[in-house]
Amino acid sequence: MILEAFVLTTILIGFLGVLWKQNLVMKIVAMDIMSTGAIAYFVLAAARPGLLTPIITETMDVPYADPVPQAVILTAIVIGLSIQSLMLVGVMKLSQDHPTLETNEIDRTNLS
Amino acid sequence: MILLTLLWLTIPFGLGFTLYLLPQFRRSLSLLGAFLSIAYALFLFRSNSPVTVNLLDDFGVSLILDPLAAFFILTNGLVTLAVILYCWQSDKTTFFYSQILILHSSINAAFISSDLISLYVALEVISIAAFLLITYPRSDRVIWVGMRYLFASNVAMLFYLVGAILVYQTHYSFAFSGLRGAPPEAWALIFMALLTKGGIFTLGFWLPQTHSESESPVSALMSGVVVKAGVFPLVRLALLLEEINPIIRLFGVATTVLGVVYAIFAQDTKRTLAWSTVSQLGFILAAPAVGGFYALTHGLVKSALFLIVGRLPSRQFSALALQPIPRPLGLVLVIAGFSISGLPLLAGFGAKVMTLENLLPWQEIVMNGVTVGTTIVFAKFIFLPQENFSPADPKPQSWGFWSAIALLLGSLVLANGFYFQVYTVENILKAIAIIGLGWLAYWGLIRRWPQSFSRQPEKFEHLMGAMSLMLILLFWIGWSKWEPLF
Repeated sequence: MILEAFVLTTILIGFLGVLWKQNLVMKIVAMDIMSTGAIAYFVLAAARPGLLTPIITETMDVPYADPVPQAVILTAIVIGLSIQSLMLVGVMKLSQDHPTLETNEIDRTNLS
Repeated sequence: MILLTLLWLTIPFGLGFTLYLLPQFRRSLSLLGAFLSIAYALFLFRSNSPVTVNLLDDFGVSLILDPLAAFFILTNGLVTLAVILYCWQSDKTTFFYSQILILHSSINAAFISSDLISLYVALEVISIAAFLLITYPRSDRVIWVGMRYLFASNVAMLFYLVGAILVYQTHYSFAFSGLRGAPPEAWALIFMALLTKGGIFTLGFWLPQTHSESESPVSALMSGVVVKAGVFPLVRLALLLEEINPIIRLFGVATTVLGVVYAIFAQDTKRTLAWSTVSQLGFILAAPAVGGFYALTHGLVKSALFLIVGRLPSRQFSALALQPIPRPLGLVLVIAGFSISGLPLLAGFGAKVMTLENLLPWQEIVMNGVTVGTTIVFAKFIFLPQENFSPADPKPQSWGFWSAIALLLGSLVLANGFYFQVYTVENILKAIAIIGLGWLAYWGLIRRWPQSFSRQPEKFEHLMGAMSLMLILLFWIGWSKWEPLF
């Protein structure tokens, strides 16, 4: 329960960072924090029934962790990583003309 | 059936990656991918009962193959085919075509997946491929527009993941049907993410800038099919779960009104079309049962419109009013405008009639009003001045363009075959009356009163802010056990 509260707070902090931070790089870092929270939530859900690795052994009735959410979240981690790297490449390109990387500034010049 | 589906799903992906090895065949191989989808969709129409496929195991990937998906897959195939034909003579690199193929096949995957995680993967791959296509010209402007899109969709998809795990905790399954009985917050999170991806209501403010700043073929793909990958799961859920059907209909109505008002007052051709997309997506959601056919006709006509408008000498209506457009271009523009306004003989008519017949009583007045609004929007295009004599076409050898347009408009005429029964005297008279009313309003009111809205809500921060507000609204709807008032 407490762990769950921490995980959800992490997601919210990330989201607030996306909202409030002006700098584009900080926004991307905040998004990363959000995704860390989401991943942790999957891991937490997987660990609910037990903590042991789900491998078939002689003694079958051990409390093992649910493998499905873990398998699923691996895909999400890879996708999150690729999206972030893609965005950082975009930031590198943008920073040549907008050295401060403030979203308001970029919006003002590119959204008219 | 299963083998066929898997082949159809994976071959375009494979082609997308092997394209680099055979760069000289890039165009013909991409055409092959699009043809496969069209053939598969036509095959799917013939099998009437929906087929459910579970790959691997109970926890594996599950797919639903039914005529609803077939409509969306057909749209995807035809629009991709038209875009490839359009780009045939351009000097687009292999990279461009391979992204188109990857986008195409991930959209296909989104249209048949019936569990939350396959859908998640498909939607994220769509975001990445769409981002790469938007930023293909590599200018600062498009990079920023693309990043806004990628940012908004990725943040939304993170909320979606949280929703997905909440569903899993309830039923130990990621299937769509697991949403029934899942806690309301799971539903709200997933719903918000899909609304953002589909550009619905106030979550769709990212859409006009993204669709209007991209190159014409990319805009055509985005408006024609990419946003439908976000809308399709909503249609599927509306048909699957009775209890959320009215909420989806409500969002559909709200977004038609918002989109059409912005579209009427937009002064830029591509922004008008983009706002009209927001409005038309609402039509798909307002009557989910016939949404597939509406998506098909809208996808065809909107991509045709984007391709045509990309050829006009200017993007501003005020400039176009002074500079007549060549007759052939004007003619296809008028035909496309007629279809989306719902003139009989074109499939837009059938789609409008079917949607309006499937509305609930409380939706009827608003939606009929919006159909009039749509005719006002396209009156702006239909009444652009044209000239008979065109000085030599500035872009010679444009058979690629004309074959793309012929394909899209030809399919619009053929698509009438899906619903022949709509051609009754009453329906035809009603359609003509609506168009007349719209044109009257256009000449009497809109033309004399140019007005435009602030673009403040489209700023980056507000895109994120809209998500939090919408989440609060959805949480409230969910927790208050919102019984439909109607």
